Amino acid sequence: MKTMQQFIKYILIIYTIITFVYWVFIRPKNMNWGASETEINMKFGFKEYISPNRVISTRAIDIKASKENVWTFVAQTGQNRGGFNSYYWLENLFGAKMINNDVPNPKWQNPQVGDSVYYGHKQPFTQVTSVKKNEYYSLGGWFFYLQPLDSNHTRLIVRYPSMEIKQSKFTTIYYYGLFEPLHFIMESGMMMGIKRRAERQQNL
Amino acid sequence: MNKNIINISNKRVAFYGAIIAVSTVFFYSLMVMIYVVIRSSLTIYEILLSEVRTLTLLQSGISVAYSIAIFSMLMAIISSIIGIITANILKKTIRYFNPNFKNRKSILISGIIAVLAISVVYISLRMMLKDWLTLDYIETFLFWFLLPSLLFFIACIIGGKQLNMAFLNNLRTLVKVVKIGKRQG
Repeated sequence: MKTMQQFIKYILIIYTIITFVYWVFIRPKNMNWGASETEINMKFGFKEYISPNRVISTRAIDIKASKENVWTFVAQTGQNRGGFNSYYWLENLFGAKMINNDVPNPKWQNPQVGDSVYYGHKQPFTQVTSVKKNEYYSLGGWFFYLQPLDSNHTRLIVRYPSMEIKQSKFTTIYYYGLFEPLHFIMESGMMMGIKRRAERQQNL
Repeated sequence: MNKNIINISNKRVAFYGAIIAVSTVFFYSLMVMIYVVIRSSLTIYEILLSEVRTLTLLQSGISVAYSIAIFSMLMAIISSIIGIITANILKKTIRYFNPNFKNRKSILISGIIAVLAISVVYISLRMMLKDWLTLDYIETFLFWFLLPSLLFFIACIIGGKQLNMAFLNNLRTLVKVVKIGKRQG
């Protein structure tokens, strides 16, 4: 029993240290992972999603592929389409039944405003709110922008406005304690997944 | 035989039940944390170039650890209640069905109690979550039910064994006291 009590004590110390490091050093970097000052200040519209009650993140990644090749994977986003290009094994722990398609599927290449995009199997879905082929795509306020650097390089910029976090104490704890760090892991994983697939497509 | 001397207080049983339950939750959270950090790090290592890789590995690793730590704290609160209830049920059943405090029998009783508790939890969760808690969602089933159930089963066996030993120690003390009393009187 003493060993167990000591184990709990050490775990509590470790978890407190992790929480401190996360809040002081990691979270500020997570908010704008890979994005430059200019990209953070870019305006993409969607004023209805900008409010002091929401936390806005802007993340960006360099992809050695044309915007057309990057687009093929952004366009087929969704559990009911080509997957989210993120950590499917983590999503499947939550009943998502996620499969990421490594190659573009022609039937998902022309998403239209109003198309349903599922987050997981028999789970809530959202709709495509704006789309312009090879340029941008959005699910609610979750905005994906493709900025061509030259014919073989693209910058993928992703803006995400959080849910209304001050609705209740529960929402605030849920958002800061679980949703925000998990969203960073999954979104950065998604951007890296798109990078890997688009670069592979470019090299074919 | 003086049953009050052999008895272990409900408070003490509850405390140790909670300790075992919280340790189990923390152990599982630590295993999950290590698994997720290693597997996501391997992906990051494959994709990113070295100049941005280290910081991303750190950001991702700490974010994973933080979210699991927070979730396990919440689960620790819930599981401590389950631990308190199970420990008290174990105490009552061991005393009733194993009056001689035989070690093997206490393990068997603990195992049966664990299986019964797991069955009740499964039926309730299955009613709430329906298909999600079937082999149709194998990863979900393993992660949220099968592995925690296995740990709960082991924790019950350990707890039951410890409880039985505590009863046995009390019984031995009582026997010694009685012997000394007889010699003196």
